Amino acid sequence: MSEAAEPRYRRFTLSDRFEHWIQVFAFTGLAITGLIQLGSDKWMPQAVITVFGGINTTRVIHRSLGIVVLIATAYHLGTAGYRFLVTRTGKHMIPGLGDARAAWHAVAYNLGIRDEPPYEGRFTFAEKMEYWSIIWGTMLMAATGLMMWNPVATTSILPGEFIPAAKAAHGGEAILAVLAIIVWHAYFVHLRHFNRSMLTGDIGEEEMEEEHAAELDAIMAGEADDSVPADVVRRRMRWLVPIYAAIVIVGTVFVVLFLTYQEITIKTVPPPAAQVEIYAPYVPAAGPPVVGVAPASATP
Amino acid sequence: MTGVVLVVTFGGISIASAQSTAEWDNDTCLGCHTAPGPSMELPSGEILDLTIDEDRWGDSIHAYWDMKCVLCHTEITAIPHDPTGYQSSRDFATQKSESCTICHGEQAVVDDSVHAAARDAGNDDAAVCSDCHDPHYATDPPIDHAEIPKTCRTCHAEIYDQYEMSVHGSALTEGNPDVPTCTDCHGVHDVEGPANGSFHLFSPQVCADCHADEELMAEYGIKTDVFETYVADFHGRTITLFQEITPDQETNAPVCISCHGVHNILPADDPHSAVAKDNLLVTCQQCHPEAQADFPAAWMSHYSASVDEYPIVYFVNWFYRILIPVVIGGMAIYVFLDIVGRRRRRKEARHV
Repeated sequence: MSEAAEPRYRRFTLSDRFEHWIQVFAFTGLAITGLIQLGSDKWMPQAVITVFGGINTTRVIHRSLGIVVLIATAYHLGTAGYRFLVTRTGKHMIPGLGDARAAWHAVAYNLGIRDEPPYEGRFTFAEKMEYWSIIWGTMLMAATGLMMWNPVATTSILPGEFIPAAKAAHGGEAILAVLAIIVWHAYFVHLRHFNRSMLTGDIGEEEMEEEHAAELDAIMAGEADDSVPADVVRRRMRWLVPIYAAIVIVGTVFVVLFLTYQEITIKTVPPPAAQVEIYAPYVPAAGPPVVGVAPASATP
Repeated sequence: MTGVVLVVTFGGISIASAQSTAEWDNDTCLGCHTAPGPSMELPSGEILDLTIDEDRWGDSIHAYWDMKCVLCHTEITAIPHDPTGYQSSRDFATQKSESCTICHGEQAVVDDSVHAAARDAGNDDAAVCSDCHDPHYATDPPIDHAEIPKTCRTCHAEIYDQYEMSVHGSALTEGNPDVPTCTDCHGVHDVEGPANGSFHLFSPQVCADCHADEELMAEYGIKTDVFETYVADFHGRTITLFQEITPDQETNAPVCISCHGVHNILPADDPHSAVAKDNLLVTCQQCHPEAQADFPAAWMSHYSASVDEYPIVYFVNWFYRILIPVVIGGMAIYVFLDIVGRRRRRKEARHV
């Protein structure tokens, strides 16, 4: 690298980027296989369902991707746990009054009321908003999705009405999430300027100045060093690892048991209620003699 | 009728010269066969009554068209008659039904009927033409609407007993012309049975034919959104998608009759109905064997969510109906202001 090269500022580790692309894959797949179910009374979703091989296959794909999200969430719980509890760099993601102020400043700046752009740190108001929306959305979608996946288990714990309510919430939240990605994420990450940090892991000085001026100033002032002494990391990890392991194990056992403990439904065509003998010749108690041709069994 | 020149081989007896018998007048036959008494013992030991009720024959559609007895009874070539070779009355009925194809080929030869399939599989009990249509006394229409179930009862007595007690059957007995009889759901000559996967899959439309008909249902105060609400829910949506996309595949999703019953169907407010509140759990357990007491409430019972029915669902729907436009609208405004602000600043920068 030549000395004239523009300095780069690290935004995401390889692990972060890996998480991100897994999320992109699962979210897109879930959105497609989910929204076509939501609108499956229309011809176009039906055409897409046909491409997937029918509604049963579509549901299998959707639920499989749901499991991918659960695994990715378990992984994120680990990385987030490490950042919030061990290195304590997670504090940059915690929303506060400063973010409300930044949002207002952005609006005022855009309206020409303020001359200065919002002065934001490592994560902007827009980024925090998206991060916490995904946390909230994933929790809601996972909960309602699992409820619908095994309504038998759900209704052994919760009232029956929670199933159609879960369905309503799952569909509503899906539309909200997809629209938010299209409006918010696509604008701030792709349209405003194309942010390549999820590919390269870093951004340039110009972007830093524009979006993370406070962080840049802190770096320049030498106040941005979040690093924690190795022995502190070790001490905190001694707490985190067992707690994390316990949460993941309990969560996994719960999900597996929840989905498999009871038989959800029979796999065959349901039997019609109250079956009787199909062929049962009528024997009149007493009646006129049989004239002409009569069924063999009705003839004495 | 000069059309009777076919050569029929029954039981090894060959009858050829239809020419002479074709000239036989029906009076020739009725001369003997209206008197009580004539009968025939078949090798099976059955006694076949050979008496014809002349009045009823006279009222029949075949007499109206002046059909000759020997048109069907081609084996009768001499008086007194030669032995027929029929082994039993069933053998007689089955073989004689071949005669129907002379005039009624379209109705008589229906390969996709359950009866034809059962007969092809070697089931002699499966219905042939004369089991439903008495060849001597059939009128026009061949079977009266109200008489149809009784016709089917001949072989399906247990099903008839259920039907007779059902909301449809009991109304028919009281003379209601609107209710479905056997053939309204099963078809006539192409009778379908429940074992056929496509019958299961498409049966909701059969019910919807009447139950989504507002004019017809208004008379009985039955709500017509039952089909829509079914299709809007998980089960109905699955069935609809199978109909649209994979009609050749079987699905375990239930149709109307899976819950409401089939021949024994009762009004939903009848305490004996399979979908009565107290019976619902057992009905659900047919497919969801481990379902517990709260499970049936997961099905919205053909209701659309409202303040009174399924209020949580109603409020969740409203929550998102408000949240989505507020959040997305807010985001869109924020983004729009950013676009405008950036453009303005760029323009200003150029002018400086």
